[in-house]
Amino acid sequence: MNTKATNVTYFINGQGITSINPDISMALQYYLTSEQQQQSFAVALNGDFVGKAYYQKTIINPGDSIDVLFPIQGG
Amino acid sequence: MTLSTKLMIYGQAVDSRLLIGSALYPSPEIMKQAILASGAKVVTLSLKRQNPAQQSGAKIWQYIQDLVKETQGFLLPNTAGCKTAKEAVTLAKMSREIFQTDWIKLEVIGDDYNLQPDPIELLKASEQLLNEGFKVLPYCTDDLVVCQRLYDLGCQVIMPWASPIGTGKGLMNPYNLATIRSRLPDVTLILDAGIGKPSDACLAMEMGYDAVLLNSAIALADNPMLMAKAFAQAIVAGEQGYMAGVMQQRQTAHPSTPTLETPFWHQ
Repeated sequence: MNTKATNVTYFINGQGITSINPDISMALQYYLTSEQQQQSFAVALNGDFVGKAYYQKTIINPGDSIDVLFPIQGG
Repeated sequence: MTLSTKLMIYGQAVDSRLLIGSALYPSPEIMKQAILASGAKVVTLSLKRQNPAQQSGAKIWQYIQDLVKETQGFLLPNTAGCKTAKEAVTLAKMSREIFQTDWIKLEVIGDDYNLQPDPIELLKASEQLLNEGFKVLPYCTDDLVVCQRLYDLGCQVIMPWASPIGTGKGLMNPYNLATIRSRLPDVTLILDAGIGKPSDACLAMEMGYDAVLLNSAIALADNPMLMAKAFAQAIVAGEQGYMAGVMQQRQTAHPSTPTLETPFWHQ
């Protein structure tokens, strides 16, 4: 079955990005540096947690908002 | 708090009754030295966005990882910045994946001015997270009924504030804090936020609180390492004072020196 190539505009950490038929795994490869991809981070899609095991299975729709969060100091 | 026991967090014994934050220090190295000087075994940290140009977060995370490994301590991620139960639950799940711990310092803020916790959203988030297997350490005000509700939900640790985060104003309402202690004798109570001086921490421990969590008072001191030691000693002093049993106050003076055989000037 052929999947029609569709441009999708979405947001990662507030930055608008357009790519073809993206899933979360593709979006992270596009947005993060290679060094960041090796670091600890976690992902939410439209405010809901997405576990690492689901990055490739989670399709991004137009207007979706992805948050990629990293450890920082805190009180 | 009972004699000769360690701080217990959901069944985990912890060797220090001081829990410490990792933010606001002049440098990562000073953070590390201050935390080591404090003797704390539980270090709080958080999650935030980081754009690709920033790399500072990775260094801090490495410092904290090394520190916790060196002290055989524990990470306590927080949900700082969340304003709804949904946001806090999502952040807790993200933290669990990264930090590999079920512990979560649950913060749900209801007011931007004094960063006061929102009790309604806090209770909602606590219930959901407890149901999903988290060990919730909720940060709340010194409201007895909110603390009772959190306890009823199954929170084994409750963390009322001393005063608003970062103010250093100390124990705003000792009566409320003492009432929570006396009404909830079985819960682990950790005084969190607003502590300014070592004597504030000592006072909380004298009330029978199980531990103290603080950050700004050490990180913003002129000498964070020395202040960390001062807090560690104050907490031990307060704990021992509580266990020793404080004397009852009396309305009238009583001479300390025996009055029998008073010398000539009273004859």
